[in-house]
Amino acid sequence: MRITFVQLALSIAIMGSAAAKSVRAQVLDQKITAVVREKPIREILNLLEEEARVNFVYSPALIKTDKKLSLVMKDEKLSVILDQLFGGSVRYELTGNTIVLNRITTAPQLAGTGILQDNPGDSRQIVVTGKVTDDSGLPLAGVNIGLKGSALVVRTNQEGGYRISIPDNAAVLVFRNVGFTSQEIAVGGRRVLDVTLMADNKALSEIVVVGYGTQKKSTLTGAITSVSSGTINALPVASVEQALQGRVAGLAVTNNGAPGTQPIVTIRGISSINFASDPLYVIDGFPTGNISSFDSRDIESVEVLKDASAAAIYGSRATNGVVLISTKKGARSGKLQINLDSYAGIQSPSKKLELLNTQQYVQYATMLLGASGLPPRLQPANFNQPVYAGAGQTYAQTNTDWQDEYFINNALITSNNLSLSGGNDVSRFYTSAGYFKQDGIAQGLGYDRYNYRINSDHKISKVFSFGENLYTSFGNQRYDATQGNRTQLTNVIRMQPYIPVYDPTKQGGFQGPISSFDGSDPTNPIESALIGFNTIKTIKVLGTAFLDVNFAPWLKFRSTFGIDYTNGYTQNYTPIYNDGGTLSATSASIANQRISSTTKLYTQQLTFDKTFDSHHLAATAVYEQQGVDFTTETASGNQSTNLVTTLNGASNVTANSLNQSNLLRSYIGRVNYDFKGKYMISGSIRRDGLSIWAPGHKSENFPSASVGWKIDREDFLVNSASVSELKLRAGYGLTGIPPGGLGNYPYLSPVNSNQSFYPIGNIAPGSGNASYTNGLTNPDLSWEKTKQLNIGLDLGLFKNQFTITAEVFKRKTDNLILTVPTAPSQGFQGVGTLANIGAMQNKGAELQLGYHKTSGEFKWDITGLISVIRNKVLRLNTANASIPSSNDADFGGGDVFTNTVVGRPVQSFYGWVAQGIFKNAAEIAASPSQPNAAPGDIKFADLSGPNGQPDGVIDSYDRTYIGSFLPKFTYSLNYSASYKNFDVSVFLQGVQGNKILNAERIILEGMPRLFNAGTRVLDAWTPANSNSDMPRAIAGDPNRNGRLSTRWIENGSFLRMKNLLIGYTVPESTLKTWLNGSISRLKFYVSSQNLFTVTKYKGYDPEVGNKNQNTSGGNLTNGVDFGQYPVARSFQFGIQAGF
Amino acid sequence: MLYSCKESLDTNNPNVVPTDSYFKTSSELVAGTNSIYAAWHGTSLVAREWFFLHDLRSDDVVSGGSQLEAPRNQILIGVVDPANPVMNAVWNTLYTVIHRANTVLDNAPEVKDNNAIRDRCVGEAKFLRAWAYFELVSMWGSVPLYSTAVKSADEYKPKSKAEDLYAFVIKDLQEAAAALPGKSGTDLGRATNAAANAMLGRVLMQKGDYAGAKTALLKIATSGPDGYALMDRFLDNFEEETEFCNESIFEMIFSDKGDNNFNWGSPSGDGPSAPQSTIRNQEYNPIGWRNLIPSNKMLNEFESTLAGAPKTDPRYAYSFYQTGDTFNKGASTLVDADQNGNASVVHGTTIKVGFRKFMLIYKQDRAFAAYHPGSNNQRILRYAEVLLMLAECENELGNTAAAVGYLNQIRSRPSVAMPLYPTAQFPVSSKADVVKAIMHEKTVEMISEQVRNIDILRWRAKGYFSSEPLSWYTAAKEFLPVPQSEIDNNPKL
Repeated sequence: MRITFVQLALSIAIMGSAAAKSVRAQVLDQKITAVVREKPIREILNLLEEEARVNFVYSPALIKTDKKLSLVMKDEKLSVILDQLFGGSVRYELTGNTIVLNRITTAPQLAGTGILQDNPGDSRQIVVTGKVTDDSGLPLAGVNIGLKGSALVVRTNQEGGYRISIPDNAAVLVFRNVGFTSQEIAVGGRRVLDVTLMADNKALSEIVVVGYGTQKKSTLTGAITSVSSGTINALPVASVEQALQGRVAGLAVTNNGAPGTQPIVTIRGISSINFASDPLYVIDGFPTGNISSFDSRDIESVEVLKDASAAAIYGSRATNGVVLISTKKGARSGKLQINLDSYAGIQSPSKKLELLNTQQYVQYATMLLGASGLPPRLQPANFNQPVYAGAGQTYAQTNTDWQDEYFINNALITSNNLSLSGGNDVSRFYTSAGYFKQDGIAQGLGYDRYNYRINSDHKISKVFSFGENLYTSFGNQRYDATQGNRTQLTNVIRMQPYIPVYDPTKQGGFQGPISSFDGSDPTNPIESALIGFNTIKTIKVLGTAFLDVNFAPWLKFRSTFGIDYTNGYTQNYTPIYNDGGTLSATSASIANQRISSTTKLYTQQLTFDKTFDSHHLAATAVYEQQGVDFTTETASGNQSTNLVTTLNGASNVTANSLNQSNLLRSYIGRVNYDFKGKYMISGSIRRDGLSIWAPGHKSENFPSASVGWKIDREDFLVNSASVSELKLRAGYGLTGIPPGGLGNYPYLSPVNSNQSFYPIGNIAPGSGNASYTNGLTNPDLSWEKTKQLNIGLDLGLFKNQFTITAEVFKRKTDNLILTVPTAPSQGFQGVGTLANIGAMQNKGAELQLGYHKTSGEFKWDITGLISVIRNKVLRLNTANASIPSSNDADFGGGDVFTNTVVGRPVQSFYGWVAQGIFKNAAEIAASPSQPNAAPGDIKFADLSGPNGQPDGVIDSYDRTYIGSFLPKFTYSLNYSASYKNFDVSVFLQGVQGNKILNAERIILEGMPRLFNAGTRVLDAWTPANSNSDMPRAIAGDPNRNGRLSTRWIENGSFLRMKNLLIGYTVPESTLKTWLNGSISRLKFYVSSQNLFTVTKYKGYDPEVGNKNQNTSGGNLTNGVDFGQYPVARSFQFGIQAGF
Repeated sequence: MLYSCKESLDTNNPNVVPTDSYFKTSSELVAGTNSIYAAWHGTSLVAREWFFLHDLRSDDVVSGGSQLEAPRNQILIGVVDPANPVMNAVWNTLYTVIHRANTVLDNAPEVKDNNAIRDRCVGEAKFLRAWAYFELVSMWGSVPLYSTAVKSADEYKPKSKAEDLYAFVIKDLQEAAAALPGKSGTDLGRATNAAANAMLGRVLMQKGDYAGAKTALLKIATSGPDGYALMDRFLDNFEEETEFCNESIFEMIFSDKGDNNFNWGSPSGDGPSAPQSTIRNQEYNPIGWRNLIPSNKMLNEFESTLAGAPKTDPRYAYSFYQTGDTFNKGASTLVDADQNGNASVVHGTTIKVGFRKFMLIYKQDRAFAAYHPGSNNQRILRYAEVLLMLAECENELGNTAAAVGYLNQIRSRPSVAMPLYPTAQFPVSSKADVVKAIMHEKTVEMISEQVRNIDILRWRAKGYFSSEPLSWYTAAKEFLPVPQSEIDNNPKL
């Protein structure tokens, strides 16, 4: 007898609310027409399963199905037919589409209590009562409780209560429920027996969401990882992406910035040079972009489609993988369920660097400049001046710790979500409201969000049903508007310790470095962060409505329409102020930008799903159209007063607006076939047409095919005691990369009309508008297409106590869009022209190992993931072409950070090889020529020359590849355990074998000019300190000791305790005595994130994202540490309650 | 739930003008021409890197101390990597100027609605293009020559010989001089026939054609509405209030962005509301960064009573501020503590000296001027240089007396009023004597005006220097290396 569980049952079960309620739904009212002659009831049930798309579950011991019957059914209700079959002796309960058949044991419900009991008239006189709950403490209704060795079965009521009579204390009760692991319990002397049923992980994962539908996990042929609501919400993290960190083999999440900033997510590595590797996010069928405004507490499940055969259904947007998010639905329990999920905590920076104090700064300045070259500011006449007129403190007495001033300890983080859900046979709903707030661990940063969701669906008739999902949120991010690579942390390091933060005599109240005294031009980071404000307010409304038409149990049609509206309003304000140094403004500046995007989605989907004997065939056809309209409006101007912070009455007002749009039109087809659930084959094709390409290149096909073999169903394994699951799968497909970074009209290089200005006539603004061209048109531009092969193995041992999933894959992109650099002499500032040339390959493997101890009082579960990816660039526009990254005079004197060439991983670090320190002139003379080298300078290796051979001269030819930001492997370990009312979970995440370009250390130790620096500079080489590895302190760095070299490359490996959580669930017996038992579930927990990190990395945080993530191609600066916002260490206290 | 699925995949960008439907009218051609000026005045050229590159390759400057960024210092000490970003910025943007000029010149023949405007645009484009090529040929020696705008990615050009580049530049300037009006016939700031002739004089001299140069220079009017003359007050050439004075033949225009921040605008001057300021004041003023300061050699070149001259050249004080000088309209006095970095030695006295030309502290106070990016227009060609060039032409053509006459015009400027040549220090009895006088006079008149490194090339070739002015000079380093990105991406190089 086939036992499958459809999505409905699944969703109820996962939700953790009363699962699998018995509901007499319209399934039982389905009208069936059939004629059977002299068939065993067993076969008639099979027929009904087919016709009514239901599954019968029954015990052949209780239900006799050998009896042959003849029936003529004409438009007869299923319930009537069932009554006819069994003559009223069998009761049927519906859970989802599963109908559980039970022999009626003449057990009427007790009036008033609603508790089912057995026949009181027989000899079983001992009465046992109790309550059955799920592992989250919610009552389970409809649980079958059987007396072992007898036909007696009772069921729990809506509150999970039951009552059963047993003959003696030796009786054993068997608790069974769909989607849960059965338990057998010897009663012993107990008369009250409360039971917690554990969700059956195997059963729960039976059905997974795939693109445009669902599929039985057992017949899956692609690489799909499901993450349940429980896992997503197990940890108090700020975003969905962080919740996925370490949960999915092959999915890497790198935190990248201050609160409200989206982390960098990659699935199976970097697939493109020019475009971000963000996966496609699909929320309830709606492909959407940024999910930072999304509340993870609303999530029912997340499915990550990793390989091409799974993801190709999303065609041109699927190369980076697809993350499918399903949100919660109400349960059809007839009851309201209220859940509160709330935590609050504090965050603090986890590391500080050692910087020079005032006395050390003077010592360093003397070393760098020589005592006679000391800047005037440091000379006693100035140094002993009060820091401002009337101050009682001199510069010499000032010792500002800029890290202490900039970082904030115990910054607040809180997340609160209150949800209300419920439903009945006709309608159900889930609604939630959330509030999230995260203050930055540094000045001037923060994010808060309010959000609201309502999901509901309604059965209009047997054929029609209707539903809708609506999410709306308001987010407010206070962000760091620092442009370029000179981060606030760079300013924190560089800012002189003898300058006070504040100066009440200055307009604005801050003191800056006075260049004419010292020549240093750092920026007061506190002032920079706090003097004005920089905010982004984002309003998002994402709504979909769908109409289902069930033509037949095997043929369904769904029409979906949705709108995703985002309105991001950025405000930048700087007042009139003057710190007497590097920062001042004589008029207040106001710049506002509103970017709104409206995405309209329209999907028509026809689904066929039918089983013919041993053959199961499912097919899906979809027409989909997704169009986006963007509007950008900017306005800026100046105010001559600080009292007005808007453009009202402003001067120099400029305004601009842009309208852009694109349209994606798709035709999708998919066929899945399996034979006896053993042999699976699947194929899909998507034809995408996208408006952004030139005519003739707008449409492309993205096919995929895959096969699977469920070996455990073969005769030789089906009875195996050890192997409980074994499946082999392979898939191949073609996918595209969403060309998001290209904008909406990439192939055309237009005239930049009036985009420049020259003040002709000495008049500005208002004269001399200027127009120019700056690029070349390429009508042949098209998608980057990636071919991917994936082979996977799923193995479960000993009733799936051990689980193993292994995948190997190879991805190759043949037509990478590269910016073919123009020769600078062609006049486009070297700005390249886009063309589909270049190829790159990622090969990798993923392994997921689990052990699940699900029985006994001490339950635990351990899962380990490891992922290995190797990236290689196979082809560029010419054989010797290179794609250098951006560069920065502050960080390595303008040397490029990375270079991308054929045969190496994308964006490998590029520079010279440092070989220690010249001890004396003789050593310099004996070494390859290094202009301006002196004792104490770094010796660099002579690796090459103009002819490819070492030429005795250290120059740009001696640069080489000095590491990659890509790790050798990444891994994570999740351990969770529960004992009685306590539970604990530990989550460790690690990255191994990557390199970081610690560019921030150039600021700390590079000594190019006089700024504050790290304490290491005090160890600079001198003839008396000739064993130091820190080169001599010399202004102007004539030997270019600070150049990009192996000096700044560090091992980026780390192992981080991402999370530790200890929870306590209040026992039900206690809850019952509180507040009239209105709280049904209550759990408290404490947790810590990023408690410790094991690393040799010297910077603030080895989790280095990409400072330039938002620019096209990211400027190829992944893994370059410019002093990005570090990850915080946080401690939280949380509460989860159900009412 | 149903909405039309007939939306088309054929979308047009409503925000921009397609390339093939622009530059069709005279007003569009003017906008194209303005963009050439915009690129010239961006931070990669006149607003910043252009004056750096000129000065760093001359003996006008030395490092002011610790704050000179490494790539700049590399140029100053003659170790120029092909990846040097300062050098690259200038190369890249000079070619952007050329591309924009080529765009105007390619499209001009189709413009019929206003021939006068069209011809003026053609003249301006040729002037601005010629100036760019002259910078390239004098700094890099031999560079690719593009005479039309590049239309496809594989249009690369090999290096052209210097002679061919000079011929191209000369032809452009001659045509520009013929096409352009005088200053009374055009907007302030646009190139004039005088600008074209003055530039032509520079170029022809550099090539050794002194007769041709003289002819061109003499075409510059000295009276009437289009005429030029020396200003009585030397400082009028460097202050904001006297922009476009009678001595100014061509200048790049800047306007004040109103704050002291580091957002200076784009490398090629782009952005409809981008800052249009120059960074010169931040970089060079005595209370700014002072990354570069005048070299002792230059400071001591000025005639001084301390060195036995009958009169101290007033241009010393007009060109430099030093400790004890007043600034801010006389309201403030410069002290050592104001001035970051190194001191200079002037006639044996150690003193802090900084630049004065184009600096704003003549009228601004310490707090305001220290970091204020200037809006003071950069004078590119002024009449005094024309006279100095004429002096050199006449001397090279054997007319030493005429040469001395021109020099003495310069010295007779009322605010200068230096004793006329011959002087005890500078006799003018031979051509060689006059060469020395010309070299001296041009140095003191034009220091810090980005002509010195060009003069060095010419005078070095003629063997006029008694000792090589650049410490790092070797024949191989006469010209800058071609930038790495050009080597990497131009297969025809």
